[in-house]
Amino acid sequence: MPVEVGAPYRRRLRQALDDEAQRTALDRATARLSAQRAQALAAVDNPRLRQNARAIRQSAIQDLPKLLEQLEANLLTNGCQVHWARDADEATRIVCGIAEKSRTRRVVKSKSMVTEEIGLNHALEALGIDVVETDLGEYIIQLAGEPPSHIIAPVIHKRVEDISELLQRELGMPPTDDPAVMCAAARKRLRQEFLNADMGISGCNFAIAETGTICIITNEGNGRMVTSMPRVYVAVAGIEKVVHSVEDAALLWQAASRNATGQNVSVYFSMSSGPRRHGHADGPDEMHVVLLDNGRTRMLERGYGDATLCIRCGACINACPVYREIGGHAYGRTPYNGPIGAVITPLLADEPASHKELPFASSLCGVCRDVCPVKIDLPRLLLDLRSDIVESGATPRSERLAMKAFARSAEAPARFRRLRGLARLASRLPVRPPPLNRWARTRALPPVPRSGFLESRKRRDRDGRGEPRG
Amino acid sequence: MSETSEPVRPRVALFVTCMVDALYPGVGNAAVELLEHHGATVLIPEHQTCCGQPAFNNGYRDEARRMARHFLDVFTPLIENGEVDAIVVPSGSCVAMVTRFYEILFDETKHPHDRRRAASLESVTFELTQYLVDVLGVTTVDSRFPGHLTYHACCHLLRELGIDAQPRSLLAAVEGSEIVDLAGADECCGFGGLFAVKNSELSTAMGRRKVRNIRESGADAVAVNDVSCMTHMNGLLERERCSCRAVHIAELLNAGGDRDAG
Amino acid sequence: MASSMADARTEILDRLRRVVDEPGRMFRSYEEVRRPEVPMHVTLAEGDSLALAKRFASELEAVKGSYEIVDDLSDVPARVIEQIRSWESESDAMDGKDPRPLQVLGWDPGKLPLPGIRKPLAEAGIEWVVPDDLLDDEDRQRAAAAATGLTGVEAAFASTGTIVLAPAEGKSRAASLLPYRHIVLVPIAAIHPTIESWLASLRSSGQLADLVRDSAQLAFITGPSKSADIELNLTLGVHGPKQVHAVLFDSQRP
Repeated sequence: MPVEVGAPYRRRLRQALDDEAQRTALDRATARLSAQRAQALAAVDNPRLRQNARAIRQSAIQDLPKLLEQLEANLLTNGCQVHWARDADEATRIVCGIAEKSRTRRVVKSKSMVTEEIGLNHALEALGIDVVETDLGEYIIQLAGEPPSHIIAPVIHKRVEDISELLQRELGMPPTDDPAVMCAAARKRLRQEFLNADMGISGCNFAIAETGTICIITNEGNGRMVTSMPRVYVAVAGIEKVVHSVEDAALLWQAASRNATGQNVSVYFSMSSGPRRHGHADGPDEMHVVLLDNGRTRMLERGYGDATLCIRCGACINACPVYREIGGHAYGRTPYNGPIGAVITPLLADEPASHKELPFASSLCGVCRDVCPVKIDLPRLLLDLRSDIVESGATPRSERLAMKAFARSAEAPARFRRLRGLARLASRLPVRPPPLNRWARTRALPPVPRSGFLESRKRRDRDGRGEPRG
Repeated sequence: MSETSEPVRPRVALFVTCMVDALYPGVGNAAVELLEHHGATVLIPEHQTCCGQPAFNNGYRDEARRMARHFLDVFTPLIENGEVDAIVVPSGSCVAMVTRFYEILFDETKHPHDRRRAASLESVTFELTQYLVDVLGVTTVDSRFPGHLTYHACCHLLRELGIDAQPRSLLAAVEGSEIVDLAGADECCGFGGLFAVKNSELSTAMGRRKVRNIRESGADAVAVNDVSCMTHMNGLLERERCSCRAVHIAELLNAGGDRDAG
Repeated sequence: MASSMADARTEILDRLRRVVDEPGRMFRSYEEVRRPEVPMHVTLAEGDSLALAKRFASELEAVKGSYEIVDDLSDVPARVIEQIRSWESESDAMDGKDPRPLQVLGWDPGKLPLPGIRKPLAEAGIEWVVPDDLLDDEDRQRAAAAATGLTGVEAAFASTGTIVLAPAEGKSRAASLLPYRHIVLVPIAAIHPTIESWLASLRSSGQLADLVRDSAQLAFITGPSKSADIELNLTLGVHGPKQVHAVLFDSQRP
């Protein structure tokens, strides 16, 4: 059965590992995306690109308050309205307020993880407002009533057959397994939504401080639709999305495109700076930008600034051997999954303890760090989070005691040597104690020798054989 | 001092690692024999225990510091008083712990003494194959293996330390063997320390993928540089009834005719 | 509401000002990074204007766009008409309630890089729609029925096959967005080697910031609309145009 995002961690993992269909889909998709990415990066000076991208992002965070003020000033000059939100509640109240004031009944959205993060759709729907996701993948999962499972490819976990079934049911589409036919059916339906919506909502890939500009990356064209057709346009932007200049945004656009899907550039890159100008035939009459904190400042205060450099390309997700086995929903109620998700989901959450398993759901293999276009040291962040979780007392008591005992033994060699004897005993018991029992469920235990290496060396020396020892 | 003095044999201290010591003394012996055969004098400090990685990886930094301090107590004096030129370790992850992660454990302002000691070991602590190739300049080995061999790149060794060419070159020098490709050779086997038991099903799923790749490679043995990964892989290879086994590279490089093959 | 927002703004900025004072606190493994003095050119393209045109064309083709290079300026209208006619017979799903295959949603003809295109098209029976205000229902429905969009460009980049469009009076966004097909007239002189070279020239002439701001929306478009959401199968024309056809010509030749 598919993963229930609201279920406890262990159950989610088990459901994910049992879902053969999903694992097949993930395997194929992540392998393909990774291969495309590698090809696109082989065509450019990637080490230099990473260096530049990191410098752009890090310098933006270092100048964050100044840049946010500059961004706001320019947005206001451009005729936008600027709103600040400390948390999800404030942000949704702001957007709902804009919707009510503008008598909005229908909303079209382009793909936006930040609006998932704050639960915006629910808040608007509670007011009786129709919210339609227009990114094809997001549209499909909206029909399916599921959250996205990957920040770039939200429906990566579904097969053609599943999607066809869904569209037949929801759109009355005739049976087909031709993706082109399915896309055409979705296009027709969503075209009406674009033309009739009162409000368009997007996230923000980059916010350019020097010009007061919100940049959106899409491939489908729904980004341009959402930001051009309705009368009101609302952009929700995490405060960390700011960059200094147009050139910075252009570089990051290319880095994100190549790393996400292996394209040189995405098909569409829209830079929106304000409502339509006098004499323009189209464009929104009103443009609003909601600047969202929701834990980002706290991340900086706690020393996790590295994670705010993320440009949401998804390369780490595609490279991760853990994600490949379990998919995005196993990470729980969060739009951010994979390696970056394992870091920022606990950090952005109200209750970090509610996601305390996530930083441990990693073998620390380090591929994520190798592929990150802005060189985020994800394994290091995971290690820091693990330490924070231990410090907060959230790990099992038995584990803490065992660690203390292990450390104490390690300080006393004679005592340490005896641990092997214990292990030997434990591995020969008919019923193995934890954690050996968990190991033994699927793996053979190694035989434990009678003597350890150092012990037998010591004995050899005592018996006068062998070379001088220290 | 004679006119034609013999070249001085480099002296190394062996940090055998807690897992090799407890479970795989043969690997320890093979490491010693390899080093001696290729020209080094090996000192084995009696009081060594653990580098502290299991505690560090799981967020227990106080406990990790205690173990790390003991490691520094045992090994730093040997370097500082010139008794040995280097510390050699038959494990990539333990070397990464000492040379990369001690810096995180010991803050300059809070633990200046330990930080200094750890820094003094950073450039002289080597993984076994790294030492053999980069320092001793080894290109041939006295070892035979009749059959197909392949290589699995352990994560810390590959990504923290950048060591890959060295073990592969030594493996290629083993006589009689044919090196075959392993699909996904640098993909994680799924061990990940305590991850293997705390997230056992996930670890197993990752490991089974590795087993499938190993089976497809047709190898009779897969060389690894870390016994931690090796234990996890062998645990699965056995249960999945695959005849191939993971073998520590020290034993594969030391399978000479007139010596016990580990 | 207003006061709590002032609170939010103040609180966020105050906290940020305090924390950015200590970069070593924000980034645990802090390493100073230097911003590049000269923006890196991610892609490269070189050669004279014809070479750039050819490069642009091949990049556009690589992303499933199409093109033609017209030697004689006076041939351009005929080629455009030919292209529109060739699409008329294709029975793809069209948008709008009453699709009009011979209707063009375009820029004001006076804004195109090639004057005198209106008359030949009219003579060929092709209706040219220039929207006034797409927030008006009637205008919107009329625009939605057109099968082909016809625009010029603000600029184009050879190394990626990208065109840039800046809305203005007589230059609607819809012309390059709503119709199923998009014909874009590209004077070869408008083709820059890379996006960075274009930005650099605007930057040095002091026009960059103004262009971005005043356009309200600067749109970078690289080929037809795409999706790979359905099991990574590439499909074209999901929301934006399914076909993008560039007509390249040398506007400087007599």
